[in-house]
Amino acid sequence: MSAAEMRGAREVAQRVLSRVRDGARLAWIFGDRVGDRTVLRYVVSGEGGLEEYPGSVLGPVPSLAAELPAALWHECEARDRFGVIFEDLPESRPLVDVRPAEELRRADSPEVSTILYGPIRSGIVESARWIVETAGEDFISVYPSMFFKRRELERRFTGVPLDLAAHVAEHASGATASSHAAAFSKAAEAALRLEVPERARATRAVLVEFERIHQHLDSLAKLADDGSLSVGSSQTFAAKERIHRLLAQATGNRFARGVITVGGTRFDAMSHLADVCDAQLDRLEAEVLAVLEALFSTQSLLDRLIGTGKLAREVVIAYGAVGPVARGSGVSCDARLRDGYLYTPMAGEESLESQGDAVSRALVRRAEIVRSFRSIRNALDGAFAGEFLAPARIEDGFGIARVESPQGELLYFVRFDGGIARVALRSASYANWPLFVPSLPGNIFTDFSFIEHSFGLSQAEVDR
Amino acid sequence: MSNWILYGLRRGILTTRYPQRSGTMPAGYRGAVTALNAPLEEQRAGITACLSGALQEGSPAARVDALRCYQCGECARRAPTAFAISSAFEVARLRRRAAPFGRSVHVRHVDAGSDGSEEQELQAIFNPFYDANRLGIFLTATPRHADVLIVTGVVTHPMVDPLRRAYDAMPHPKSVIALGTSACSGGIFADSPDVVGPVDAIVPVDVYIPGTPPTPLSILHGLAVALGRAVPAGGAMP
Repeated sequence: MSAAEMRGAREVAQRVLSRVRDGARLAWIFGDRVGDRTVLRYVVSGEGGLEEYPGSVLGPVPSLAAELPAALWHECEARDRFGVIFEDLPESRPLVDVRPAEELRRADSPEVSTILYGPIRSGIVESARWIVETAGEDFISVYPSMFFKRRELERRFTGVPLDLAAHVAEHASGATASSHAAAFSKAAEAALRLEVPERARATRAVLVEFERIHQHLDSLAKLADDGSLSVGSSQTFAAKERIHRLLAQATGNRFARGVITVGGTRFDAMSHLADVCDAQLDRLEAEVLAVLEALFSTQSLLDRLIGTGKLAREVVIAYGAVGPVARGSGVSCDARLRDGYLYTPMAGEESLESQGDAVSRALVRRAEIVRSFRSIRNALDGAFAGEFLAPARIEDGFGIARVESPQGELLYFVRFDGGIARVALRSASYANWPLFVPSLPGNIFTDFSFIEHSFGLSQAEVDR
Repeated sequence: MSNWILYGLRRGILTTRYPQRSGTMPAGYRGAVTALNAPLEEQRAGITACLSGALQEGSPAARVDALRCYQCGECARRAPTAFAISSAFEVARLRRRAAPFGRSVHVRHVDAGSDGSEEQELQAIFNPFYDANRLGIFLTATPRHADVLIVTGVVTHPMVDPLRRAYDAMPHPKSVIALGTSACSGGIFADSPDVVGPVDAIVPVDVYIPGTPPTPLSILHGLAVALGRAVPAGGAMP
């Protein structure tokens, strides 16, 4: 469809709003350029899967953010990057342009101080800044000021040969490289109507499930460290280390980079994975389950998590959150139950908790680790014969696909016009960070890191 | 109620003896690329597959810029007569050893624009398998107490000032380590107009540890090089 035949964005925004009122989730709004026209693409997740609604930007577009907090960051970014004017957008501050610190001090009461927390913070953490207004222990307001790590990764795809482009996707978030490579590849394959061999689909599933295990362990180890449980934290990091060692042996990289590509996998990683898992998976699983058992029977740690960073179900839905953060508040959103699976659709119920606090999110992660081991065995037991890579040829068109990354639903958009013309991604961390702010009221300053680590988000995939 | 002391004791000693004893990575680990003697036409299939421009034609063998290599393995797969990839992990390069450190150093980390995996590997050197504390290496929260600054990621525009301020806040003598291919050279962003550049475009770097991400053993090696306890890869840098 050319931009001239497209509906106007005004009309499309209304249509999207009515889809959300009917129960669909607003997943994404992003800018694209088709010809000389700016196009806003709205993506909602409905019962039947992802729905994409493109709209030509012909003038000001009504903002959805006042009714749908889920739209806020997307609209701010489209404003900042594509110059789209949104009517009544409730946020005038720039999202992706980092402003000097002097402009950010705004507390007007002498009892209230404004703390600029970051971008460099204590410990080994990614750069991000929080602007915290506090009168002592309580949070009065908290405002995320991110995008310090903006590398313009989406632009880096332009002109890259198709068979190398998944390497760029892996740079979006190196710790969840398999999820990014898989989601990018699925989007490209959707655009090219490419059938991926079963062996490659099984390989991707195994890698993404291992990734889920190591990232969930990372989150739990950091929570244990926050709770001054140093042996528990060390042993959880040790369990994570065992996953990285297995991946290094089977794939040549501790984060399994350089395996997944458009059309399948770059080499026959499945035969290595099968051998290594055959020898080590039972022992590895026993180690991981042992550390989980020990962590979740340490009452001093659980006490610290119970009631911390509580999120009501309605808030999670309004913000369009995904992943363990949403599931901790009882919101069903696992892409593996829908079109986001890699090998076979997830069987049975997803892991949900109802309390919406840090311990609920930790319990979701524990249940998902157990399930991930099952999924790995299921994929390893599957079909082994056959090719691991289908040849891909570029045709003009676009595709959108999602994968359930450890942090939650990860979306990629790929458009071909001769070569790769536009890649956009919406990470789970991007969908979830705005929810961090409503999780804070009622908590005290020292809860900050517990809540942050219970979210378990990545900064690189937000800032891009 | 968990008894973590018993839990740890049951697992025994996990810790490597590296760098006092040698360490190893698994055979298939994609560590460092070496160029083999091969005609130019055989080199090209590998060179054109390198997104970071780490490879250049040369005679009798191609030239490899180890600080730009992001370990994807495409060159060795596409041009196996011209490139080989080994499981070598002692890849740290030394430009200068500015600081005469004693037995113990305190390290401050700054993320200048990483992909997030370098942080996890840096965190890993403190897990029981590596236990950097046994080597006298400790993390510190403030640059005022830091001897060594470890910087990850290609430097983005908004991180220039925070990085420079962290460096300036450190007492002398001080040492800077660029951790990861992006920090060392920019990696796949080396020629991107959207970022500022590698770490040494902003602050002087003493030790470079390439890798995407560098493994914990590579990081231990790089720290040992910075402290004068290990031999760097590839001899003196220009």
